[in-house]
Amino acid sequence: MSAETIKATPHDGAACTRCHKADTTHHIRSDKVCQSCFVQYVTTKAIKRMETYRIRGSSYNIPRKLLLPVSFGPSSASLLHILDQHIQGQYNRMNRASYELHVVHINVYVDPVDRKDADELLAKYKSRFPKHTYSIVNLGEALHLDGIDWKALDMEQPTEADRNTDRLLKLLASMSSATSRSDIASTLLARLLVDVANRNGCTGILFGDSTTRLAERTLTETAKGRGFSLPWQVSDGASPYGVDFHYPLRDVLKKEITSFSSLATPAIDGLILLREGSSLVSASSKLTTIDDLMVQYFESVEENYPSIVANVVRTSSKLQSLPNQDTQGCGLCGLPVAKDTDGIHGWGGDQNSDSRSAMEDSHHGILCYGCSRSINS
Amino acid sequence: MARTLCATCKTARALIIRPKNHQKLCKACFIAVFEAEIHHTITTTSLFSPGDRIAIGASGGKDSTVLASVLKTLNERYNYGLNLILLSIDEGIKGYRDDSLETVKRNAVQYDMPLKIVGYDELYGWTMDQVVEVIGKKGNCTYCGVFRRQALDRGAKMLGIKHVVTGHNADDVAETILMNLLRGDLPRLARSTSIVTGDSTSDVRRSKPLKYAYEKEIVLYAHHKKLDYFTTECLYSPEAFRGSARSLIKNLERVRPSAILDVVRSGEDMAKLVPEEVTGISQCKSQKVSLSSADGEEEGSGGCGNTNGRDSGGEMADMEKKLQLDEEASSREVDVTSLASTADGQNHDRIASKSVGRKRDTSRKLVKQTLGTCKRCGYMSSQDICKACTLLEGLNKNRPKMEIVIDVEDEESSTLRRRMEGVTLAAG
Repeated sequence: MSAETIKATPHDGAACTRCHKADTTHHIRSDKVCQSCFVQYVTTKAIKRMETYRIRGSSYNIPRKLLLPVSFGPSSASLLHILDQHIQGQYNRMNRASYELHVVHINVYVDPVDRKDADELLAKYKSRFPKHTYSIVNLGEALHLDGIDWKALDMEQPTEADRNTDRLLKLLASMSSATSRSDIASTLLARLLVDVANRNGCTGILFGDSTTRLAERTLTETAKGRGFSLPWQVSDGASPYGVDFHYPLRDVLKKEITSFSSLATPAIDGLILLREGSSLVSASSKLTTIDDLMVQYFESVEENYPSIVANVVRTSSKLQSLPNQDTQGCGLCGLPVAKDTDGIHGWGGDQNSDSRSAMEDSHHGILCYGCSRSINS
Repeated sequence: MARTLCATCKTARALIIRPKNHQKLCKACFIAVFEAEIHHTITTTSLFSPGDRIAIGASGGKDSTVLASVLKTLNERYNYGLNLILLSIDEGIKGYRDDSLETVKRNAVQYDMPLKIVGYDELYGWTMDQVVEVIGKKGNCTYCGVFRRQALDRGAKMLGIKHVVTGHNADDVAETILMNLLRGDLPRLARSTSIVTGDSTSDVRRSKPLKYAYEKEIVLYAHHKKLDYFTTECLYSPEAFRGSARSLIKNLERVRPSAILDVVRSGEDMAKLVPEEVTGISQCKSQKVSLSSADGEEEGSGGCGNTNGRDSGGEMADMEKKLQLDEEASSREVDVTSLASTADGQNHDRIASKSVGRKRDTSRKLVKQTLGTCKRCGYMSSQDICKACTLLEGLNKNRPKMEIVIDVEDEESSTLRRRMEGVTLAAG
């Protein structure tokens, strides 16, 4: 179970520091609180972030439709649980809700058995939270998105006859490192989500990322040479894709959301696939990715210095995208790339043009530095 | 086993796997490419002009020794027309500098360069050993770093030199970027990536020609060129943030060799995204990215620190504590609402909305920094009193047994150096 629950010492005689009634079972930062105050705390943190979507005044607004991607992990499952209650609360009070959810799962597996499992699990979500619409999309569909520059990726334009799955496997297999594969897979996933949002008439996407996850992302993207993209990766608000991005769990730590997911009533345990702990990740393994390293790193920082984790996110959220710049969209991630800053060559740190391979020089499409790094190494 | 040929010359046997990109090279081609890259950095950033007198901040360690050697080579090969001088700082750490200063003295002979050694005791009235006696082993890196930065500037000024080059490498720069993200220090994040700090208006400019060179390649270069350098780690442990960032950088490099360069690139890009109100620097005059050198511990300093930072968590723990207090203070009003409210949505929204709006305002407040000079010692600083003077004030307060007498007969006695000479005399 989570660190939060282990650390808590139930029935140690101390009363909850918030309600002063029940026994303490959990920690909120340094405070010892009871279970119901803990649940209350996490819920409030998330709902507060949904303020943009509260019902304004008395005039009737058509509820906005928002996309909620679920990975089957504790964060997105908890977010769905919280928002489901939030919407129900609005109905109970006013017989209407300010927003609706479309829940999507992106299937990253290619094995038919895994796909069947995903279908079955999403069906459980549907029966547990029946108010919302649901769909499941395979990651391979990302390959048919408009705006992917196949020439820049040194691949043929896909034809209708191509099987997406094969193509995805081929693209990923062409990359030399585990980091590059996971980088490109998550890039395609983000673009696919935007497409799913557009297709379903959603004006925004609600990501389940916790504080800890956003701190991981800050350093991961930095380490992958994607520092330029941070304003769109960790901040709430408009994205360059024309769809708003929101992170309602941005003020909740990963360990807190993990504890929360085990306390929900009715239980949501059955909806969550827990991943293996990351503490055993070794930096010398060929399969280890930069993402893995950061998960491990922030797991330890979160344990002792939770406020530092939150501070990283606060800091990276202050970065602002540059207005009025001459930009072009990256042929893979689609983010705006300032003129003459594309690719991994031709900047101060690229000093040895002799080491370029002929293939790299033949590219004429625009790729951002991060995508270019993953494609070329 | 078949011999692998060098990827560049295709004739000699490959003996070196380049840490930067895992290219297999022969010794001669590695040395050539290493030097060519530094030449490229120097020329594309127009770092020097013919006739410049350049002080090389020399610690006797690998970075500064390689820097001195490469600069000498390039200066002769490409006729930069530079007048190179070695400048060393003696922090006054027994057993640490004694040997490394001997190395620098040999380097001066080997490279036929003049050498100037400046001691902390002359500049500040305190050796590092004395500082550690007062401060303890934790937290003294701050003193050492702040003092060292000014010491280089002061030493250069003494010699009438306007440009100091330091041996900071790509690993140091990458580490600083991650550290500033962890510390939440956007102003320093914005500044730390530029190759030059200071501009034509400052007394002394600083630059790091090895900014894009990997530490591992510097070691390889020193090894294959058989350079005479001194290997030791600073006796005092590094700050937790830097130590933590350093081990992270090493792990990243293992997983993806380009990661160090990629972090540096991210840092350069992110520097442009730091809002103007934070840096006080307008993007259109970004050449003036400058205010740093006097007041910051923004850079990894040659010869200081090692990878065991994880166990010295003092600095991180202090920051955690401070952040928690801030958080508590700013969330107090929100706590009231969370107690009063229920989980049923709309109710919440109304109560929370006011306080949230206010809270965001305070947490979004950005610290503005503007360039000025220290009121006490006159060095470049973003605060009224520069960090060195602030630290010295603290130190001097903690030296109770000593009678502090400041000679006031001299009109120029307001400069820190003279004050400190006064202190030393009185103490002696």
